Amino acid sequence: MERTLEKVEEVLKRYGYKRENLIKILLEIQEHYRYLPEEVINYVGVAMGIPPSKIYGVVTFYAQFSLKPKGKYTIMVCDGTACHMAGSQEVLKGIEEEIGLKPGEVTKDLMFSLDQVGCLGACALAPVMVINNEVYGNLTREKVKEILKGIKEKEREMANA
Amino acid sequence: MKITVDGRELSINPNARNLLEALREVGIEIPNLCYLSEVSVYGACRMCLVEVDGQIVTSCTTKPYEGMKVKINTPEIHRMRKTILELILASHNRDCTTCDKNGSCKLQKYAEDFGIREIRFQPMKKENGVDKSSPIVRDSSKCILCGDCVRVCEEVQGVGVIDFAKRGHETKVTTAFDTPLGETECVFCGQCVAYCPTGALSVRDDLDKLMEALEEGKMVVGMIAPAVRTAIQEVFGIRDEVAMAERLVAFLKMMGFSKVFDVSFGADLVAYEEAHEFHERLKKRERLPQFTSCCPAWVKFVEHNYPHLLPNLSTVKSPQQALGTVIKKVYSKKIGVSEDQIFLVSFMPCTAKKFEAQREEHRGIVDLVLTTRELVQLVKMSRVDLNTVVPQPFDRPYGISSQAGLGFGRSGGVFACVLEVLREEVGVVEEEYSTPMDGVRYANISLRDGTKFRGAIVYGLGKVRELMRHLEDFDIVEVMACNFGCVGGGGQPYPNDTKTRQFRAQILRSTMGIKTLVSPNENYYLVKLYEEDLRDEEARHHLIHTNYKPRRRYPEKDVELLPVPGDSKKTVKVCLGTSCYTKGSYTLLKKLIDHVKESDVEGRVEVLGTFCLENCGKSPNVLVDGKLLSEATFEKVLKELGEDV
Repeated sequence: MERTLEKVEEVLKRYGYKRENLIKILLEIQEHYRYLPEEVINYVGVAMGIPPSKIYGVVTFYAQFSLKPKGKYTIMVCDGTACHMAGSQEVLKGIEEEIGLKPGEVTKDLMFSLDQVGCLGACALAPVMVINNEVYGNLTREKVKEILKGIKEKEREMANA
Repeated sequence: MKITVDGRELSINPNARNLLEALREVGIEIPNLCYLSEVSVYGACRMCLVEVDGQIVTSCTTKPYEGMKVKINTPEIHRMRKTILELILASHNRDCTTCDKNGSCKLQKYAEDFGIREIRFQPMKKENGVDKSSPIVRDSSKCILCGDCVRVCEEVQGVGVIDFAKRGHETKVTTAFDTPLGETECVFCGQCVAYCPTGALSVRDDLDKLMEALEEGKMVVGMIAPAVRTAIQEVFGIRDEVAMAERLVAFLKMMGFSKVFDVSFGADLVAYEEAHEFHERLKKRERLPQFTSCCPAWVKFVEHNYPHLLPNLSTVKSPQQALGTVIKKVYSKKIGVSEDQIFLVSFMPCTAKKFEAQREEHRGIVDLVLTTRELVQLVKMSRVDLNTVVPQPFDRPYGISSQAGLGFGRSGGVFACVLEVLREEVGVVEEEYSTPMDGVRYANISLRDGTKFRGAIVYGLGKVRELMRHLEDFDIVEVMACNFGCVGGGGQPYPNDTKTRQFRAQILRSTMGIKTLVSPNENYYLVKLYEEDLRDEEARHHLIHTNYKPRRRYPEKDVELLPVPGDSKKTVKVCLGTSCYTKGSYTLLKKLIDHVKESDVEGRVEVLGTFCLENCGKSPNVLVDGKLLSEATFEKVLKELGEDV
């Protein structure tokens, strides 16, 4: 994957390389890369004069940060009590059959990544999943496959166009 | 200030840092696991609970005030402390009998003091990853997350190579990305080990290698560093013994050592050579300030963090390596034993010395470095009572040393010894010292030949970081990585706290006091060594001088900025390490990327970022198809890429 550190430099500059802005800086950088690559963390450490062990500590403390690549489409499947009872395991099976992912994994082309999470607060729609901030409810194994097929189709069209 | 403790009125120091320290000063030690006077207050272990005016508080975070009513012994406090210990022990790997800290562990001691015989909580096994990649061994299954090591590494040493990672029950102390310690910017000073209250941090035990060498029938030669003799006595209940080294000589002979030399002789040699080096530099006003180079942790610290200052380091080897080289290269010939038949063991207060001996340029010189604690182990194993061993002098010719040479064992010793040589040879007219802060001393010296110079003497690498901001104020800088110098080395016995270190420095002072020789110039065998074997300048340089190299702070991993698949391509790697970064390597990188994207070479030229090409003196550095371009500019890189690009 092509990376530029331009974005990182821009973010660092905007926050004045200040220690107290570390979390904001990391969040913005993560938005750009969809995760925090090791080399980028080292780079930020060099630029800000913070030992990378400290940044690693911050990054592993907050669930918001990821050290593993995330897909262009990040899928979160709810496994809270309501969703679990309503068949969240079926949702996971559907995803695995369609794109071959288990929770915590990412596809080779970095298109999709999958995480299993606690309650998403939409129990009335159980079972629920969220793809890039969009909520899909009342899912079945088949419905999940349809949704993913739709995304793949859209991506293909975009690539061809 | 008057306070009441369990009904007794006590007068305490009103300026004490906190209640815990105030009580400690009057002889009351409140139990604690995460409190260290040397670093910031963490307040995590909760063992130091006391009752203040009816309220339970942690004494490490409470300021004393006039008329304070403190209870330190109530059934409630005892119950709480026991519970805390049980909770800690429930998730602690309790393999005490095979633990490095067996007998000197604070947690073990408290478990005993508080009579913990049973733990009510379900045992929780922690991840048992032991990192043995360096002289410092880390075992997270024994870590109680007190954070002492984290704070010492960052606040005292200014390194910060370890920190807390993750959260909740998964929390652990580790390096960035869990990188093995041996591959990081850790300087192996071992101060984390010195302060760890449990066996989570220890030093690699190399005693077996000594046994192997003895069994193989090699000629085992030992040498003992100045600071070892000051500390080993603590363990055996001996006090103020100035002939400790000589007792150790006799002991090592009993163990099968053929010869035992004094590293203080090496110190005389180093100071003698370093004084001449300094005087030369001073006259030419070049590569100043001169940094001392006997502390291997400090040397590694410069290599990682201040690579552009490597030329300032004295090129003279450390006493361990200088004496080691003399033994292996000169002495072996004199006695007619081939150098590979000599097994050279050095006894050091230091963990970083283990690393130093293994540095590429020092291979084959010192075969084994054992810390004071390993020597203690050897004494204990042997069942010899050091009290009854009759002292025996060090072997000749490397067995005598000056007071100043022995002084290398504590902060200020190297500077003082270099000054002794200058006093003998040039003459010192005036000397003046000041102490701007704990751990930092300044010196103003006027020599008889009219030159003046300013020196700084520092311990604790964290303070060095501050000194680096006004380096131009000095001509010579002595640095010892550990607080109070080698007496507080990471390989010294526990406890290894401020009070103990100061006491060791005092013993060293007394031991120096009975030496008859004052300066290295009076060392007969040193003079002889120079006359017979070091007369030729080239030979001398070859034997007792060395070189340093920049070291990367992170394991090698490139940033793929503009990768190109396949083999038919040109690769440009731009260094993004600290030194190059500050010299504008990023701007250069950006220019290159833009150029490649805009011109027709896209797909033929690959652009990568890398961390440290280990040539920081001439940053920014760029690697074009493996060829290093120093002080690189955009134009230089384009030229190197060739005409078709």
